[in-house]
Amino acid sequence: MSAGHTFFSVTGLTKDFGGIRAVDDLCFSVEKGSITGIIGPNGAGKTTVFNLVTGVYRPTSGAIHLMGEPIGGLRPDAIVRKGIARTFQNIRLFNRQSCLENVMTPLLQRERHSFVGSVLRTPGARRRQRDLADRGRSLLASLGLEPFASQQANTLPYGLQRKLEIVRALATGPELLLLDEPAAGMNPEETKRLAELIAEIRERFDVTILLIEHHMDLVMNICEPIVVMNFGALLACGTPDEVRSNPDVIAAYLGKGKKSHDASAQG
Amino acid sequence: MFLQTLITGLSIGGIYALMAVGYSLVFSVLNFSNFAHGAVIMLGAYVGLALATKLSLGFGLVLAGSVAGAGIIAVLNERLAYSVLRRRKAPSLYLMISAMGCSVFLENLVYATIGSRFYAFPEFFGRQVLTLWGSSVSLLDMGAFLFALVSIFALHVFISSTRTGIAIRAGVSDMTMCSLMGVDLNRLIAIVFLLAGGFAGVAGVFLGIKYLVYPTMGWVTNKAYIAAVIGGLGSLPGALAGGLILGVVETFVSSYVSSVLRDVFSFSLLIAFLVLRPNGLMGQDTEEKV
Amino acid sequence: MDYILSVATLAGINMIAVLGLSVFTGFTGLFSLGHAAFIAVGAYTSAVLTYYYYVPFALALVAGSAMAGAVSLVIGIPTLRAKLRSDYFAIAILGFGEALRVLLENLTITNGARGLPGIDSFTTPFTVLFCLAVSVVLVSNFLRSRWGAACIAIREDPIAAEMAGVRLFRTRLLSLMVSAVFCGLSGGLMAHYLSFIQPVMFTLTQSTQLLAAVIAGGMGSISGPLIASFAFIALPEALRVAQMWRLVAYGLLLVLIMVYRPQGLMGYREITSLFGKRRDDGRRER
Repeated sequence: MSAGHTFFSVTGLTKDFGGIRAVDDLCFSVEKGSITGIIGPNGAGKTTVFNLVTGVYRPTSGAIHLMGEPIGGLRPDAIVRKGIARTFQNIRLFNRQSCLENVMTPLLQRERHSFVGSVLRTPGARRRQRDLADRGRSLLASLGLEPFASQQANTLPYGLQRKLEIVRALATGPELLLLDEPAAGMNPEETKRLAELIAEIRERFDVTILLIEHHMDLVMNICEPIVVMNFGALLACGTPDEVRSNPDVIAAYLGKGKKSHDASAQG
Repeated sequence: MFLQTLITGLSIGGIYALMAVGYSLVFSVLNFSNFAHGAVIMLGAYVGLALATKLSLGFGLVLAGSVAGAGIIAVLNERLAYSVLRRRKAPSLYLMISAMGCSVFLENLVYATIGSRFYAFPEFFGRQVLTLWGSSVSLLDMGAFLFALVSIFALHVFISSTRTGIAIRAGVSDMTMCSLMGVDLNRLIAIVFLLAGGFAGVAGVFLGIKYLVYPTMGWVTNKAYIAAVIGGLGSLPGALAGGLILGVVETFVSSYVSSVLRDVFSFSLLIAFLVLRPNGLMGQDTEEKV
Repeated sequence: MDYILSVATLAGINMIAVLGLSVFTGFTGLFSLGHAAFIAVGAYTSAVLTYYYYVPFALALVAGSAMAGAVSLVIGIPTLRAKLRSDYFAIAILGFGEALRVLLENLTITNGARGLPGIDSFTTPFTVLFCLAVSVVLVSNFLRSRWGAACIAIREDPIAAEMAGVRLFRTRLLSLMVSAVFCGLSGGLMAHYLSFIQPVMFTLTQSTQLLAAVIAGGMGSISGPLIASFAFIALPEALRVAQMWRLVAYGLLLVLIMVYRPQGLMGYREITSLFGKRRDDGRRER
């Protein structure tokens, strides 16, 4: 599979943990500007794919390309600089820091500051710091978190913590944003609002979104295309309607769970 | 000369192994480095010393008393300094710092109350010497080595075939699961500390006979800890292998290279193992969970 | 009066080292049982420079700090790159500290275990006060910088920090180096205050005392550890407690803190926050 003009692709991605194959020869690609969904039964290896893409794990084999550049096996922070950001299934904020500090950290890491200037806190350094704080505040404001700027992150209600994690990811300036179960623990009303928010984020920040989700309504509503995984491998890929009517997908979700390698509608 | 160095190394290694077992036992269940172990060994030596000098007991009774004393101290140590942390599921580092605190506390308490004097055990074995293949070996060295082999083997059999031993091994793999299955965790952990303390008592007596008894004698357990790391923390055969390897290598370094460099060498070995092979020769994977 | 001043001076010297360790432990979340080694490096480097080579005191202090920073790389690069479990790291650095001490005991230039007597006592209470003030300012600026934010992010969650673009290894190494530099400065001041240094002053016990001050004072706080380290030096002096009973108390204190108050005196807060001040840029006062 050539990575020529594909925005993002994984090719033959495989990850073994000891004797267990968590991700098995996975191939899929993501179009620029799309909201691509990854679904699949529990333990299908979805989060492992995110961990491979973001460099938390090293792939056993296979390639990952972002905008034509191979990124497989790079360090997580290097991958962030290439333009991939993520949120976590079980929220991972900088708990004892304020919301603003949570957003400032990625903003600061993108800057080239002089060490001596920062440690001496020269007027220039102060000004740059203030400018960044303003940018941080406006980022918070874009998701309605501005009023909580100086509140400690772990004291926020659950839903706001999820939002803050998204803002922190956006603060790294990503091309591709990975959301790991953004609607986990939300009721249908909240999920609906989240769907709107995700669509809005794509427009406003000009990012491509790849998300893992269990809430089918959310996925079927906003994701196109949808990648279905089962036992670490690709089961199906296509539009929501194609996926919904795919017999392999139906079988997997009804629990017959037969390992299927003849992935049908490959993107 | 070579053979003599080897046998001296093995006997020191045997004592290292006796101490390393304590680190490994506790590590295998609670997953932290119990730095109070050195202090327990030191206290075990003082208990043995008191029995030998004040009550003039024979070697067997001294050993038994010291095993019991150090075992009880180790259990109390766990109850007072670790059990709260354990229940709170505190990070293993907190347990280690608490252990560090216990060690500083106990060592200096002995220093402040009993004093810094060096005490000698009565001569149980005299200075008897065996002649093996033309090399002379002290009976004590030989005894310590054999005792270490036999007792560690017995412990291994206990852990791998008795009901309690199996429960301990189950606790190693999954504490929460274990408590769900109705195993009394507190009792299990008390047994583990009792065993670790018992071995500390034995090690304390042997150390005391070989090198005298004084408040900071537990310092030598740094070596035992290194041995446990080399063998793989949490593994009993590993503790034995690590102890013997370190004892022999150290003895060779000090007699053929330089006795000054011996400790530098051991600590470098520790760092090298931690960096290159943190699971040691025989340890299981002990990665911190993400 | 002289006595009180000398206790305060010693406390100040100790506070600089604790300040350094608190960058590494309190703000980066890594524990060390070997920072006494960096104090030793600073003390011996600066003392040897003024003693044998008549280097000016200020320059010797800078050289001692720089040397401590450089030495920290020797242990930091392999251990931090290997991403050791936090307790393994603390132990590796303990081993390093002990190995270094054995070396000091056997080098000719350090005069071995007997120690270096007759170092010029250049350190005055004013020097210490000045160095302490500068150190506090530099450290708090560092913590508010890009690198400080990275350190704190790593303490809070290393994986999330990497996802925020933080370079894990480099940041941890930098934090170790910064902490070692301040320990080195403290060592240089100490050598030229006591005018006598000996390897036995830089043992595991000394490292444990530094760590005890940081933990008792509180993680993620500058003022807490400073208060704690001052109290650790001044209280026993005021109460005329013998050295060994001090260590008994340190040990007990460590256990009690871990069991009852793991956040320490000022965990994640500063003394100034008690007055509810907030910075104009919305960052909490630190």
